Amino acid sequence: MSLAFVRRHVLTVWSLFFFGYLLLPIAVVAAFSFNQPRGRFNFTWEGFTWSNWTHWNAIPGIQSAVELSLEIALIASILATGLGTLMALALVRYGFRGRATTNFIVFLPLSTPEIVLGASLLTLFLNFSTPLGFWTILIAHVMFCVSFAVVTVKARLVGFDRHLEEAAMDLGANEWTTFRKVTLPLIAPAILAALLLCFAISVDDFVVTYFVAGPRVTFPIFVWGAARVATPPQINVIGIGFFVIAVTAMLANVVLQNRRAQRA
Amino acid sequence: MSEYSDFSDRISRKVFLRRAAVSGSVLTVPGLLAACGGSSPSAGGTTEAHTLAKTLHFSNWTLYIDKKGNQHPSLNQFQQKYGVHVDYTEDINDNASFFSKIEPDLARGQSTGRDLIVMTDNSRYPSLLVNKGWVEKLDKSAIPNIKNLIPQQRHPNWDPNRDYSLPWQSGFTGIGWNTKLTEPVTSMGELLGSKKLRGKVGLLTEFSDTLALVMAYNGDDPSHITDKTFNKAIAVIQRAVHAGQIRQFYGNDYASALANGDLTATMAWSGDIVQLQADNSHLHWQMPDTGGDIWTDNMLIPKGGNVYTASVYMNWVYTPRIAAEIEDYVNYVCPVLGAKEVLVKKDPAIANNVLIFPTKQMLDNAHTIDPTALNNEKYQTTWQNLISA
Amino acid sequence: MGFLHQRRGLAPYLLLAPGMLWLAAFFLVPLGFLVYQSLQSGNIDFGYAFTWAWGNYWSAIKGYRGEFERSFEYAGLATVIALVVSYPVAYWIAFRGGRWKNLLLLFIVAPFFVTYLIRTLAWETILSDHGFVVRLLTDIHLVSPGGRVLATGTAVVAGITYNFLPFMALPLYVSLEQIDQSLVEAAGDLYASKWIAFLRVTFPLSLPGVVAGTLLTFIPAAGDFINAQLLGSPTSHMIGNVINSKFNELIDYPAAAAMSFILMAIILGMVLLYARAVGTEKLTG
Repeated sequence: MSLAFVRRHVLTVWSLFFFGYLLLPIAVVAAFSFNQPRGRFNFTWEGFTWSNWTHWNAIPGIQSAVELSLEIALIASILATGLGTLMALALVRYGFRGRATTNFIVFLPLSTPEIVLGASLLTLFLNFSTPLGFWTILIAHVMFCVSFAVVTVKARLVGFDRHLEEAAMDLGANEWTTFRKVTLPLIAPAILAALLLCFAISVDDFVVTYFVAGPRVTFPIFVWGAARVATPPQINVIGIGFFVIAVTAMLANVVLQNRRAQRA
Repeated sequence: MSEYSDFSDRISRKVFLRRAAVSGSVLTVPGLLAACGGSSPSAGGTTEAHTLAKTLHFSNWTLYIDKKGNQHPSLNQFQQKYGVHVDYTEDINDNASFFSKIEPDLARGQSTGRDLIVMTDNSRYPSLLVNKGWVEKLDKSAIPNIKNLIPQQRHPNWDPNRDYSLPWQSGFTGIGWNTKLTEPVTSMGELLGSKKLRGKVGLLTEFSDTLALVMAYNGDDPSHITDKTFNKAIAVIQRAVHAGQIRQFYGNDYASALANGDLTATMAWSGDIVQLQADNSHLHWQMPDTGGDIWTDNMLIPKGGNVYTASVYMNWVYTPRIAAEIEDYVNYVCPVLGAKEVLVKKDPAIANNVLIFPTKQMLDNAHTIDPTALNNEKYQTTWQNLISA
Repeated sequence: MGFLHQRRGLAPYLLLAPGMLWLAAFFLVPLGFLVYQSLQSGNIDFGYAFTWAWGNYWSAIKGYRGEFERSFEYAGLATVIALVVSYPVAYWIAFRGGRWKNLLLLFIVAPFFVTYLIRTLAWETILSDHGFVVRLLTDIHLVSPGGRVLATGTAVVAGITYNFLPFMALPLYVSLEQIDQSLVEAAGDLYASKWIAFLRVTFPLSLPGVVAGTLLTFIPAAGDFINAQLLGSPTSHMIGNVINSKFNELIDYPAAAAMSFILMAIILGMVLLYARAVGTEKLTG
């Protein structure tokens, strides 16, 4: 038995365990989304029901929390991706004074723990007596998403073939047309990736939001509040709902890519 | 009894008041004016009128009122009788975060959009609301049923004549345990020291609950806290923490840990146990031999609320028949005389449950916390350091 | 893009301006306020005033040294475990994934669409004293009878490890995936043992991924308080718990700000040392 053979199987077994470990909590969350708790707790299996799914918003406040989270995530991801794409273009395409500093400043939020981001923003808002709520949440989310967007788009731009743009210009296209018809389509996958990443990070954020949300309740904050008493199965429903939507979208993408690869 | 957030989520109830004190009311000019007793225009407008509003905006804790399907029968009856629609919102999960919701409006002298709210007296908030002038005086002429308030609740130190508040429900703090995992745990000494319980004991994050029970155990008086008795109590708790006796300090979340067996015994709130028994029939609750703690959730009319309509509603709730109807579902301690007599016929199991209609001995054995300690910075800091570090 | 070429001097700044302004206003300026706050003294009844109160830093270090140390200990442990656990998997996907690569990656990312708090709560259920995991561990004598996993430091480290796993696995995969297969094959011919080939060629080439992964795991882990709150006990709290409590419960802003700043400074210091060791460009791109 060759070493390679052993290694291959050790790796495979290890990886299977790894995926089991990754998915175990998800399986638990999913299973209990179909539970019919007798009392207020949702951790002993009492019986199967669809009703948590059909009545996903039966818990007061849960629907508005989900809506707020989605709303914030949508606006924040678009804003952050916009800002981040422009910055990435500047950082990759130009040599300019202060480039290293800019890189460092973009990198800094990524190397700051969330609790410090939240705490410092809260001190800012308190000092200016800014009422906490929708806008402060949005500001915070755009702030911590921007760096992720820059990094994502930058990675794509670095491997970008400038010749295509030059060819378009040679053919008589002006700068704007070139950008729209050539550059944008080429970096579109990266922009989309940045959008999705920002959306995912924003929708999931608890710590920073907890500091700056004031009276507003996003879904993670709702979960935190509910967890202090007893998490109703509807929370599992929404968690798994997000999961299913994300997985479906990603699966579709994988299938699409594979098809394209086969055609090519 | 609320399913998801019965009583205050006792984790961080001081915070928003303090935040308000530091940022809102002290650092800003409007805040300063409000804090210095500047008159705040009430946006509600109808505070003097003796006419009923069309709608009563009532904010309460989750599952803290009678319920049948999606309806609240007692509210429906109120509407039938008075023609007032009750806009009933279950948006209070804990005192602190709810206070933070209404504080900005109150500090700016604006209506909160609510006519009636419910807050707990072993937090700082009810007395703070009264002291800041952020709640309206009750229209007692509209509340003849105030005579049905149980005598023990008539003169709280923060509102001696019940000018601003009426109790909604009360509850006890005591010890809950799992009979399947342990012999009865009836003393704080066992809870804090028994080796059999090591690592399976919960205490409450709420300053007043834990302090009151430990002080009573030490033989000190929780209603008159001194530095000496405070430090003694802290030392006792610290010893238990360092010995690994204490699994965690809990807010409402002790309940799930007790129900699933992670906790064998814990400090617990009386009304939770009835609900918990649906999940785990082996749970039992008792006041410790050295005494427990009693607290009360109070109805208050925030500044700008419709005083007359809210007062008429309070009067309605203090009708024994209605109180009984609510109590039959809510299962905490009922503050209304005569409700028990109604329930004896309707639902004797509830009427005879001492957790709902406590015996005099229980009431005598229940301490209340020294209100000055709630505002003592040094105590609060020491306590937070103990539970969070 | 011609017009940009012509105004080369200005173009990058114009592109940068909106994003940089945002970061300046809502990241850099707040950090300044954090420092300002950390040097204040007073109390909540009368408010705080700026007094150059350096003592806040001193008392933060003196009073909470244990929590600081525990934070870095737990974060370090979680980072190392995450690296050891996910490196083989990233390797497996990169070199043996074939056409399933994207699907397998999807499985790494997917669990993280279930909200962070829900995942952590799920672990609370899984690790509970009467759950099957503890029973299993008791049977194989990893946990003493009547012992527990939940409400221990072990559970906190396990929770952190789990929650930041994709931040480790994905960069590892990206760097492994970029390695030229022919190099690995050549190394296989060159060295007698595949292990040596791996250590001499593959691993060094994957170092950028290791660096990125460890940073992306360690930094959020060191500041975390959710895992310690839900899975720990009073003796396993981290500095994040203290900062959270000081900010959101005690309203002791100066002390909380001082601690936040110390945490950030230590992490930044460690990151920069690390960056110097591996080369800055790899870090900031």
